[in-house]
Amino acid sequence: MRVPPGDLFAALRTDAAVDAILVTLTTNAISLVLIIGLGTPTAYWVATRSSRLRDVVVTLIELPLVLPPAVAGIGLLAAFGRLGLLGGTLDFVGIDIAFTKIAVVLAVAFVASPFYVRTAVSAFESIDPALPDAARTLGAGPAKVFLRVAFPLAAGGLGAGAALAFARGIGEFGATIMFAGSLQGVTQTLSLAIYEQFDLDFDVALAISAVLVAVSAASLFFVKLFSRWRSSSTSPIPFAPSSQPSG
Amino acid sequence: MRRLGYILTAIVLAVAAALAGAESARPQQGQLTIYAAASLTEAFRALDPSRQYNFAGSNALETQIRQGAPADIFASATPASTQNLFRAGLVEKPVTFTANRLALIVPKSNPAGIRSVYDLRTKPVKLVIASQGVPVGGYTRTVLRKMGLLSVLGKVVSEESDVKAVTGKVALGQADAGFVYVTDARPVSDQVTVVRIPAWAQPQVRYEIAVVARSTNKTAARQWIRTLLATRGQTALRNAGFLPPPKTAP
Repeated sequence: MRVPPGDLFAALRTDAAVDAILVTLTTNAISLVLIIGLGTPTAYWVATRSSRLRDVVVTLIELPLVLPPAVAGIGLLAAFGRLGLLGGTLDFVGIDIAFTKIAVVLAVAFVASPFYVRTAVSAFESIDPALPDAARTLGAGPAKVFLRVAFPLAAGGLGAGAALAFARGIGEFGATIMFAGSLQGVTQTLSLAIYEQFDLDFDVALAISAVLVAVSAASLFFVKLFSRWRSSSTSPIPFAPSSQPSG
Repeated sequence: MRRLGYILTAIVLAVAAALAGAESARPQQGQLTIYAAASLTEAFRALDPSRQYNFAGSNALETQIRQGAPADIFASATPASTQNLFRAGLVEKPVTFTANRLALIVPKSNPAGIRSVYDLRTKPVKLVIASQGVPVGGYTRTVLRKMGLLSVLGKVVSEESDVKAVTGKVALGQADAGFVYVTDARPVSDQVTVVRIPAWAQPQVRYEIAVVARSTNKTAARQWIRTLLATRGQTALRNAGFLPPPKTAP
């Protein structure tokens, strides 16, 4: 556009932009840890079961994928808001998440989790069932099968899912502005900063948008890298020599 | 992965098609599109429900009109926005049509126990205000400066993009207190309690309205503004709690 790149970099050094980058990185890092920590076992459970309950669980997991962000915001308010279902309980134990980074983390985790879990389920499903079966016949327990066979084989897919979830999370807007509000340095993420700066300083909004385009493109590129890694890690020969150290 | 890609592509295409349809279905002639400050939502809807409205922060509307938004009329909660556009030749000469006052609102349950504006300084409180660029955000800072309470800006937990967002956060009980116009407290009077701001601390809140220069409907737009300035429009504004336009207006 009409703004020279030098000015864009200068606009990125404004307090609003720097704070937004820091808030976005910290909240998304925490969300991603939550998503991977809770999502990986869930995805593994879903991928290794074939009960009818599975369809219900998958539907629930995928729901945020199709929900409008505004509905996600209302949902989070209804659940965790001060007057929401769990708000009273949280208040009782002295936790008030209204307008804190915790609220941003919850909003991001809610909207971004399906991107990880979906990809993780298909990664676990694409493992040749002969491999965990073989591990089991060799005496490995369920935990060992997961840690030493399923997890390494699905790692590429899990990485791709995490990159997708991160790409969705850093762009989160609707649920965040409704549930967490917008305060520079506390809850104002990059998307919220763009929204505010759009009326105040268009160049700053443009510069932050450019950052998000670059980060999103990088995330998608990582998805491709991870996906390739997955396809090369599932060898067509069931018992190919593994690079994992034994023991 | 690939299936997800197909689904996303399908969604993008569907949305694009829907938008294209909506674009061609947009009323061309005869329908007035009015861009108005969020605080005017109830008053304008009550006065004339049949128009197409876009209610938002006046600063956001100003930006949209600058970017060529298809508005016929622009009603701003601050003369600054209308005058900026007038100087840029984007609207016709603005006129003052009403005035307003500020109030502090707290949820009916009043969790922070706020009974006066000065309680904001002494009590722990989650305060919500509009951001600096939004008219009500600027007026809020004026009130706090006049009352010597600028330190309470440190208790602000969220800066919202328009006055209705502030009202909503307080009415919902998410925030303990928020600065809005007195007219915004009325529609949610069953959810919030109004804490009065003394008259000497009130800023001059003056609303201006103007016909947008690019409008293809200028005759109807001017007629609409005349109605607003006449008894019918002024009564609707008064019923919503607005004040008569100040006589001293330039």
